Amino acid sequence: MGETLSKLLSTVITVLVAVGASAGIWIGANLVFNQVKQNWRTFTALVFGLSGFFVGILISGNRVTRYSSDPDAEGIVKFGYWVWLPLLIGVCAAVVGLLLGAVEDPPRRFAIGVGGLGALGALVGSFVRAEYRPELDAAALIGWTAGVAVVGAGVSVLRKRPPHGGALIGGTIGWVLGAWGAPELGDGNAAWTVVAMIVPAALVGLRIAMGATPDASGRAAIDQKSRAVIFVGPALLFIFAMLVVPALRTLLLSIKDRDSSDYVWFDNYRAIFQDPKSWDTSLWTDMFTSRLFYTGLVLLGLALFLGLRSRRRTGRMVELGSPSMGPLLFGGLLLSFAVFTTVRGTIVNNLWWVVVVTLFSTSIGLAIAVLADGAKFEKIAKSLVFMPMAISLVGASVIWRFMYVARDSSKEQTGVMNALWVGLGKLSTGSGVANIVFGVVLTAAFVGVMALLANALAKREYPRAVIPGLIAVLLGWFLLRYWQIYGGGVGGQRTNAGGRTVGDPINFIQDGPFNNMWLMVVLIWIQTGFAMVILSAAIKAVPTEYIEAAKVDGATDGQVFWRITLPSISTTIGVVVTTLIVLVMKVYDIVQVLTNGNFGTEVLANNMYREAFLNQDFGLGAALAILIFVSVLPVMVMNIRRMQQEEA
Amino acid sequence: MSNITTVETDPGGIADPMAGEHGRSGTGGDGGSGPIDRVYRLLKGIPTWMLWLIVAIWSLPTVGLFINGFRERDAQRSTGFWKTQPSEGTFDNYQTIFQSNQGFGKSLLNSVAIAVPATIIPIAIAAFAAYGFAWIDFKGRKPLFIATVALLAVPLQVALIPLLQLWISGAHLTLPFIDKTITLIPDFDLVNTTTAVWLTHTGFGLPFAIFLIHNYIAALPRDVFEAARIDGADHFTIFWRLVLPLSIPVLAAFAIFQFLWTWNDFLIALTMAGTNPDARPTTILIANLAGDFGRNEHLLPAAAFVQSFIPLCVFFALQRYFVRGMLAGAVKG
Repeated sequence: MGETLSKLLSTVITVLVAVGASAGIWIGANLVFNQVKQNWRTFTALVFGLSGFFVGILISGNRVTRYSSDPDAEGIVKFGYWVWLPLLIGVCAAVVGLLLGAVEDPPRRFAIGVGGLGALGALVGSFVRAEYRPELDAAALIGWTAGVAVVGAGVSVLRKRPPHGGALIGGTIGWVLGAWGAPELGDGNAAWTVVAMIVPAALVGLRIAMGATPDASGRAAIDQKSRAVIFVGPALLFIFAMLVVPALRTLLLSIKDRDSSDYVWFDNYRAIFQDPKSWDTSLWTDMFTSRLFYTGLVLLGLALFLGLRSRRRTGRMVELGSPSMGPLLFGGLLLSFAVFTTVRGTIVNNLWWVVVVTLFSTSIGLAIAVLADGAKFEKIAKSLVFMPMAISLVGASVIWRFMYVARDSSKEQTGVMNALWVGLGKLSTGSGVANIVFGVVLTAAFVGVMALLANALAKREYPRAVIPGLIAVLLGWFLLRYWQIYGGGVGGQRTNAGGRTVGDPINFIQDGPFNNMWLMVVLIWIQTGFAMVILSAAIKAVPTEYIEAAKVDGATDGQVFWRITLPSISTTIGVVVTTLIVLVMKVYDIVQVLTNGNFGTEVLANNMYREAFLNQDFGLGAALAILIFVSVLPVMVMNIRRMQQEEA
Repeated sequence: MSNITTVETDPGGIADPMAGEHGRSGTGGDGGSGPIDRVYRLLKGIPTWMLWLIVAIWSLPTVGLFINGFRERDAQRSTGFWKTQPSEGTFDNYQTIFQSNQGFGKSLLNSVAIAVPATIIPIAIAAFAAYGFAWIDFKGRKPLFIATVALLAVPLQVALIPLLQLWISGAHLTLPFIDKTITLIPDFDLVNTTTAVWLTHTGFGLPFAIFLIHNYIAALPRDVFEAARIDGADHFTIFWRLVLPLSIPVLAAFAIFQFLWTWNDFLIALTMAGTNPDARPTTILIANLAGDFGRNEHLLPAAAFVQSFIPLCVFFALQRYFVRGMLAGAVKG
């Protein structure tokens, strides 16, 4: 119990300290800048003091000065070693700031600025450790100082300011680079070290002293600008440090070798695309022997035929809800499956995930949204479908693992899917009442569908015959096998060597390549709720008047859906689809927990984790991460475009 | 991770997004009791039956997990959950996972230690920024905001390696051409701690937080701000006294999102603290259990249920805010 309490306590303290610190810094910054209008002297003193303090942290943190650390020190003493220099610089700078804020006479300002900061520089310079004393080289020093000063002046000119301001700042940076960056450190003497410190400090002082104390309107402008920085700055700094810089660094790592020591340029990317694991086309001709391919072709042919017919009547091959749409979609889907199951590899798997999860989540979500709209207990139904959103992907994978359990055919199946599958097999090959009842019910349904089909054909309403026709073909095929008129029954059963019929479960997680689909089911299960909620809200936002007007004109429910509801929510469907694409490209947890990329289910994100953190190949891992990023880049660009349109 | 729309953005207004507002299914075909009418009504009911069929399919996996959690190892391995006898029920699995050697209780605490700071701290930082983007006029406001929101779609994989290196050894800048290294952030030895995990979550959560809160704050009525400014209030006062109390709903919406996201996260925790039993959250423990070659498989349902219990409670209690946040235009993942 003691451990529990202390852990909870430390969590609470963490939160309090972090929130308190960020709020404190933020309120403090606001109070500092409140002084701009109220008391200019206090403001300059505070800003000088704080700037000095931060410069001190950088110097002290890099252990440039003496007495900045003691290996034996612990706790507060260690902190004291580290903090005395920042405090000293801060206090001295604050005094200079106070004087500069009070004095308006230019010569005296120059004296204070150059003299004060120069003296501070000399003080710091005298503390520099021997290992850091630079051996000044006149050529490098002059070259760097002059060069960067010219750049600074140029920037000033571009910003339509007088050039000497930028030249001074540039000169300061150049001097620091030339004096401290270029030479070997540790060979110089104490005097030169002091000089190397005095000059940049004095240059900064000169630059500040040149500016006059701002008048009331100038102060108001400073006040306004500072608020923007205070409000927006911390978040942007955080994002910059935690997202932007790491992303750029990943880009850099991706063109270096595994331990980032040498540049290999595009070798990592070449390795990814040449690896048969990510892109294996060796068996692509199998496509032409797959049933998927030919069924897809037949459906596309049917779509073409229906499209040509409908073009004669409406002038368009395909329309929302037109009879050619269903066969076209299904045919295309089956053809894509034919490709995905014969061309294998990590990248192909990712594409397969994107197609299937996006399509099924969106369409099932849309179906539920439409079915639930206005139904009794709508809220409960939607909550239950939405619930998986709250479950972790790891938890969801565990849940589905139990659904997919496959046990030896001699034992009872404990997974729902295999229990159904093997149960169906038993039903089909068995000879009990259940076998006959189930068969008769299905046959009755088949007869009903055939009646619908016949009705449509008799009335020469061929478009209406498409859906019943397809269902009749599927059902008829199923019944042929079920009654064992053709083939040996349906479901999970097989005849063993002894001639007895035994259960034949499917190993959903290991049997490729369709095990990929069963992994996708987990994500569909989760994301359908998301699509449903968004689309449901969009459907409810469609103006009722349109729908009622259409109904008055005699439109059927189907026509209302295809012609009014669906076009009105097309933007929202786009949003759902793009969100899902971005999400699916990153899919990781499900694959890691269910197969860890084995059995031909590897995806980019899992591959990236394996390469970067298990194989310690940062170059290849970074390249894979960049690949994921590039694949969602189009979506990002689209989002930016949409934002700009909305802002305009 | 991102989608951006204002189609249904309505910060204050959406009454209850989960409730049916106006049904428009016809109610015809009620009269008559002949066989044809009966068949007609049966057909009319097909959509409703389909709806509940789908709902049943969607709930089945969770129900199965829940029931299996209360069954002995042998019962789980011999029959499906649908054949459970009420007498089989036992709490043994729950007792086992909470025994200290399983480390489950500790990992639950770690999940709390990660999710709570990672939820609260981004709010503190993002609320200021959202106000700044919405109501302070400054140069480059729009491009900066759009750039921030564009980062929503950046896959977190892109930042993982450098962030891990940051937690391992701090940040150092090597100057080009002169080959000198400056330490910008010293090594605080954060790797394999919960701190590293929640700091990472904070960074990744910020763009979404700014986006969501900005949408809400920007839609507050302008008169309120003008009245306050005439009374002499500065931005600091307006934010503290006016905007913060008004934006409680959107802060709640973001908090739920971020809490669910951080509680359920696996990848970041695995990368930043995966090997330390004293820092790893429940998701890692469950994934390890699942990868255990079935030795402890019978504990998985109980563990997964406990892991999901807290987010499910949050979800059902605050669903309205959650949905509102989602509809305000974005979902992260």
